[in-house]
Amino acid sequence: MMKKSFIGIDSGSTMCKAVLFQDSRPVDVLISKTGWNPKVSARQNADLLLERNRLAPEDVVFAATGYGRESLDFTEHVFTEIICHAFGGMHLVPKVQGVIDIGGQDSKVIRISNGKVVDFLMNDKCAAGTGRFLSMACESLGIELANIDGFVNLEEFTPINSMCAVFAESEIIGLLSTGTDRSKIMAGVLQSIAQRIRQMIERLGFSPGAPLLMTGGLSRSKALLEAIAKAAGLEIITHAYAPYAGALGACICAQQRVAAG
Amino acid sequence: MGKNQLPKDFENFADARKEGFLKIKNLKDQGVKVVGTFCTYTPVEVIMASGAVSVGICSFSDETIPDAERVLPRNLCPLIKSSYGFALTEKCPYMYFSDLLVGETTCDGKKKMYELLGELKDMHVMQLPQTQTDEISKEMWYREVLALKARVEADFGVEITDEDIRAAIRLKNEERKLLKELYELSKACPPPISGAEQLKVLYGSQFKFDYEAKLQELREIIDKIRQDYAKGERPVPESAKRILITGCPLAGATEKVVTAIEESGGVVVGYENCIGAKTVDKLVDENEEPYKALADRYLQIGCSVMTPDHNRFELLERLIDEFKVDGVVEMTLQACHTYAVETESLRRVVQGKGIPFISVETDYSAADTAQLKNRLAAFLEMMA
Ligand code: SF4
Ligand code: SF4
Repeated sequence: MMKKSFIGIDSGSTMCKAVLFQDSRPVDVLISKTGWNPKVSARQNADLLLERNRLAPEDVVFAATGYGRESLDFTEHVFTEIICHAFGGMHLVPKVQGVIDIGGQDSKVIRISNGKVVDFLMNDKCAAGTGRFLSMACESLGIELANIDGFVNLEEFTPINSMCAVFAESEIIGLLSTGTDRSKIMAGVLQSIAQRIRQMIERLGFSPGAPLLMTGGLSRSKALLEAIAKAAGLEIITHAYAPYAGALGACICAQQRVAAG
Repeated sequence: MGKNQLPKDFENFADARKEGFLKIKNLKDQGVKVVGTFCTYTPVEVIMASGAVSVGICSFSDETIPDAERVLPRNLCPLIKSSYGFALTEKCPYMYFSDLLVGETTCDGKKKMYELLGELKDMHVMQLPQTQTDEISKEMWYREVLALKARVEADFGVEITDEDIRAAIRLKNEERKLLKELYELSKACPPPISGAEQLKVLYGSQFKFDYEAKLQELREIIDKIRQDYAKGERPVPESAKRILITGCPLAGATEKVVTAIEESGGVVVGYENCIGAKTVDKLVDENEEPYKALADRYLQIGCSVMTPDHNRFELLERLIDEFKVDGVVEMTLQACHTYAVETESLRRVVQGKGIPFISVETDYSAADTAQLKNRLAAFLEMMA
C-alpha cells in the first residue's frame, strides 16, 4: 500500500523544523534548536511527531532538507532548501510569484511561474543579508531577536554602511559609543538587510501584481517584511506556517517523487 | 575486454599531465625546445612548425597561491595567481622546462602578471586585439602571428618553411577533428560518457606530445565508446539532465563543479570553455596563406576579453541546440571581471532561449564544495 503520511525535516543551521503531512495538508508541526548534532535534533523531532500522532515509523515517508539534511540517516528523500521552500510556499499561498527565505547562514530568493521554480539566487558567500547578520546585531545591541518589532520605527534609522558582518559589528559598537539610539541602529540593520534582499529580487525581475512569500523564522518580523517590501516596491506577505515552509516542501517533494514512482 | 577496458582508457588521458613530466624531460634531453602557453589564442601551430613542443601551463591547483600572494594581490583570479606561483616556486615541470613562454594581452590581470613573469622566464607577449571584426584588428593580429614566428625562429635558431607550417596546421586540424568527434558523441541521449570523462580526454590530450600516437589513441577511444554504446551499454541514465558548462577555463581544482552536477542527477554533455569546444570547434583553413589562415581562425575565438563577444554566444547557442541541453551552468573564477560582467548578457541569451541558467563563482580551494553542491543540486531539482 502506498504510504499517505509524510514527515519533512528542515534541519537548519539554528533551528530544526518538522512537519507531519497527511491527506495533502500539514497536520502537525514542531520546532526546536538544531544544536551541535543535527542528527539528534532531527530524530527527536521526528519521534515526537510520530508519538503524539500515534504513528509508527513504517507508516511514514521521511524527507529532509536544510543544511543538516545529508547527515540524517532515517530520511529516504533529500531535497535542497530551494525547491522545498518553493513548494512549501506555493502550498501555503498558491498565488505567490516568489519566495524569500532568510536563513541562519544564507539568504535566497526564488522565482516561481506556473507552479514551477524558474530561477533563484542565493547568497551564501557572506553574512550580510542573512540571519547571522541580524543575530550579531541583536547581540551587540542587547535586543532579543523576537522583540525587534517592538523596538524599531523604520522611518527613523541610522544607516549601517558596512556590508560585511564583522565590520558592521565594529560600526555598531562605534555608533553605540557615540550615543546613537539603539532603536535607530536596529532599524538601520533591518534596512541594510532589506537592501541586500532587494538587489536579489531585482535581479530576478518580478512584476507587480502577485505577492512574494517570506518563509523561515524571520518571517515573524513585521518590521523586516515591511522594510523589504518598501525597498523592493512589491507586496511581501507571510503565513502562520511560513517558518515550516522548508519542512512542508520536503513532504510535498517526497509525495511527488513517490507518486511518480 | 569490453566493460572494464573503458575506464582504463580514460585514465590514460587523466594521467597524461603527470606522465608528460617525464616525457618532457626526455625531450629536453634530446635537445627539443619547449614552449609554455597560457591561452587558447596562442597559435600553437607556429610553435609546432619550429620543431618545438608546446604545452599549456595555465595552472589549476591552489598549491602555489600562497607563494604567489607574496607578490600578487590577493583579490586576483586564481588562475593567474597559481600560474605565477608555479613559475616562482619552480613546482611545475612544464613551466620549469620551458625555454620560452608565450602569453597574450588578454585580461588585465594576465597581461600585468606577464610583466612579472618575464623577470623569471623568457617571455613573449602577443598583443591581442579586443575586437574581432574590423580590418585593423585582423591586420594587427596577423602581424602578431608573424612576430611570434620571428621570435621562435630567432630563439631556437631555426627557419620555419612553408611546408613546416602547413604540416603543423594539418596535424593540429586532425587533432581538432578527433576531439570534436569525441565530444560530439555526447549529442546522443543519453550520452555514452560522463562529463568528467569527456573532460579527462579534452584536458589530457594537451599533455601528449607524440602527435601520431595521440591521434591514434583518440581514434581508439572514440571507436571503443561507439562500439560499447552500439552494444547497448548505457553508463549514463536517460533521466540525467543534460548540462552545458561555460565560463572561465575549467580543469583541476574546479572540476568540483562537474562533480557537483554529476552527483546531483545531471550529466555534463559539453564544455563551451577553453578546454572544450572553443579550441576545437573551428578548423584552420588549409587552403589559405598559412599565417593569414591562423590569424583569422584564432582571432575569432569567443572569450569575454573580446568586445563585443558575439562569437561566444553564437557557439553557445549552437551547442545548446545540437546537444539538446536542458540547462546551462556558467563557472566564473573569483575576481575575473570580464566573465563576471558578461554573465548578465549571457543570462539574457540563455534564458531568452527558454533554457534555465545559473552562474556560480568559485576559486581553487575546496572551501565552497558544499555550497556549490547545494546550488547546483537546487538548479537540477528546478529542472526536474
Ligand atoms: S578564457 Fe579567454 S583569456 Fe582565458 S585562456 Fe581562455 S581565451 Fe584565453
Ligand atoms: S579567468 Fe578571467 S581573470 Fe582569470 S585569466 Fe582568464 S580572463 Fe583573466
